[in-house]
Amino acid sequence: MKKLLLPVILCVLLFGFWISRDFQEIAAGVAIFLFGMLMLEDGFKQFSGGVLERVLDKTTDTIAKSLGFGFVAATLMQSSSLVSVIAISFLSADLIKLIAGVGIMFGADIGTTTGAWLVAGFGLKVKISAYAMPMLAISIVLIFQRSKYIRGLGFILAGLGFLFLGIHHMKEGFDAFKDQFDLTQFAMTGAAGLIVYTLIGAVATVVMQSSHATMVLVITAMAAGQVSYENAIALVIGANIGTTITAIIAALPASYQGRRLALAHVIFKVVTAVVCLLLINQLVTAVDWISNSLGIGAEDYALKLAVFHTMFNVIGVSIMVPPIHQLIRFLERAIPAPEIDVTKPLYLSRAVESFPATMEVAMRKEVEHLQDNAIALIAHGLNLSRQEIYATNDVAATVERSTQPMDVNIDEEYERRVKTLYSAIVDFASRAGALNLPRDVTDHIYELRDAAQSSVHAVKAVKHMRGNATQFTRTPQGRISEIYNELRTEIARILVEIHKIGQAEPELRSTLWLEEERVQIERDRKNTSKVIDSMIRNKEIAPEAATSFMTDSGYAYEAMGDLIDAAQAYYAETDEAMAEIERILALEEDEIEGLLAEVSETDDAR
Amino acid sequence: MALKATIEKLESYRKRLKQKKAEPISRKKAERIVAKLDAKHDALKSELKAAKKPSKQERLKAKLKVVEELQERAAWLVKQIGKQAD
Repeated sequence: MKKLLLPVILCVLLFGFWISRDFQEIAAGVAIFLFGMLMLEDGFKQFSGGVLERVLDKTTDTIAKSLGFGFVAATLMQSSSLVSVIAISFLSADLIKLIAGVGIMFGADIGTTTGAWLVAGFGLKVKISAYAMPMLAISIVLIFQRSKYIRGLGFILAGLGFLFLGIHHMKEGFDAFKDQFDLTQFAMTGAAGLIVYTLIGAVATVVMQSSHATMVLVITAMAAGQVSYENAIALVIGANIGTTITAIIAALPASYQGRRLALAHVIFKVVTAVVCLLLINQLVTAVDWISNSLGIGAEDYALKLAVFHTMFNVIGVSIMVPPIHQLIRFLERAIPAPEIDVTKPLYLSRAVESFPATMEVAMRKEVEHLQDNAIALIAHGLNLSRQEIYATNDVAATVERSTQPMDVNIDEEYERRVKTLYSAIVDFASRAGALNLPRDVTDHIYELRDAAQSSVHAVKAVKHMRGNATQFTRTPQGRISEIYNELRTEIARILVEIHKIGQAEPELRSTLWLEEERVQIERDRKNTSKVIDSMIRNKEIAPEAATSFMTDSGYAYEAMGDLIDAAQAYYAETDEAMAEIERILALEEDEIEGLLAEVSETDDAR
Repeated sequence: MALKATIEKLESYRKRLKQKKAEPISRKKAERIVAKLDAKHDALKSELKAAKKPSKQERLKAKLKVVEELQERAAWLVKQIGKQAD
């Protein structure tokens, strides 16, 4: 079906071009209009390094706010599709709740109708191509600037210029068409007309993937007397149904939440369309009454159509908002959340790649997911229960008691729960690097990838020492068991500290809290070395066991260092200036040595 | 308090700031970091008070020493930023 669509569209276009020059102008007008919309989208994406997302994040905590946000965003961007793609992207990154996403989408449906008002009230009465030309000329100067915001402004201006130019060509085309053909002779009245034209409107919108473009086409065609008012109303209803296709396409690669949102949109439009088709006569009367109240002339069908378009979506919102909680419950039942499979990436879907901020958030969440899996595996690899070590006041005693080997195949679990996620993270970071993202976003994504790499190294190190650590601690075997337990305890303490920083409120914690752990690791490393030397000298340990322990302690300190590196990268301040302060204050290797020397001098003096 | 590396990092930051490759750091933000370090210091002090095992006490004291070092550095940085603002 999808494969057939393109040749069919091309054939229709070629046939149209062959039979009518005016059709060429109309088609070119539609193409220029759609191109303008693409440029408008690109322009807004240049601004989406944070502002758009931050505003969206803070203005969607109630239904009223999310409706308002959707309305304003779609009015500014002149595209409910773009707003719905943003909403799906945010939902997929788990940044907003489903109810907020639904609210945004409903609001955007009303917001996008303002475009029809502009075209009907302004576009058809003024020679807008006169505005389009200077806009395009100025925009191209801006597009060639280095600043991404000025470039974004250029794209927005160019987008608007092309929209105006597209409308102009459609208008010219229909005006000329009027002299040759009279499409009104195909007008159909009654229920058949309603159904046929609703279908035509839906198909036209699916093909152009823009209800806005269909609306403009309908308004200009009607202004040129090519479509009857009744049939134009049916076309508008069809356009509203057809527009759901964009959200469906955006939702296909998205998470289950994105698919729920797309379903909500389909329900919204179909229910509203059915209600409007059933009450069509009453609605036409209502449009006349509202138009009359607003001072719109009885013959100004273009503006009346804009009134109807807005009314359609306001009716939809009025029908759908009161039972919104029931709707959410239905969506949750219809598209159930998949069982969480910790072995698969949870956040890195293609849907989050539309906007830089969602990419960073999704990456952060996925790295957290990997870190959680890695820490679980490290604890289990050392036969420790995370719950027990997090809850205890005496980590050493808890570790000493944990002698039972855990039933875990660390190699298999590493492949399943760590390596798969790490591959997805590396792949995602590479894709992000290839996009034209703001520098700070790319830097953060790479830092997070490095944090994931450190977690992976830590697991690998523990994998190497698991065998001996289990063998020498399952039953008491004298000093060798004690020193292996000390190693396990030191790793457990690092896990506890990372857990603590993870539990702290983001605005209260600092990665500098982990600097003392880095100093502690160095102190422990030196102490362990001294202890093992003394044990060998005093023949408290067999040389073979000593060699194994020295290798394993190397792995253990490597794992501890990697865990701290991962946590410091993961919990680093997201505010660039704060992160800079942390970097300036952080201890360097030689400073750690200096501090250790100071402490041992104090100890010696005591 | 050994500040050689910190001074070097501060200088490097100032150079990057001039080249517009770094975000300006304000006194207020540096003070927020000081507050976070103070919070950690208080938490360690309480932990030390409650600790009974000598080995745990020793470890906590060593950690306190590191936090105190960082607190001194942070206070120094606040002053440096203040001077720059003046």
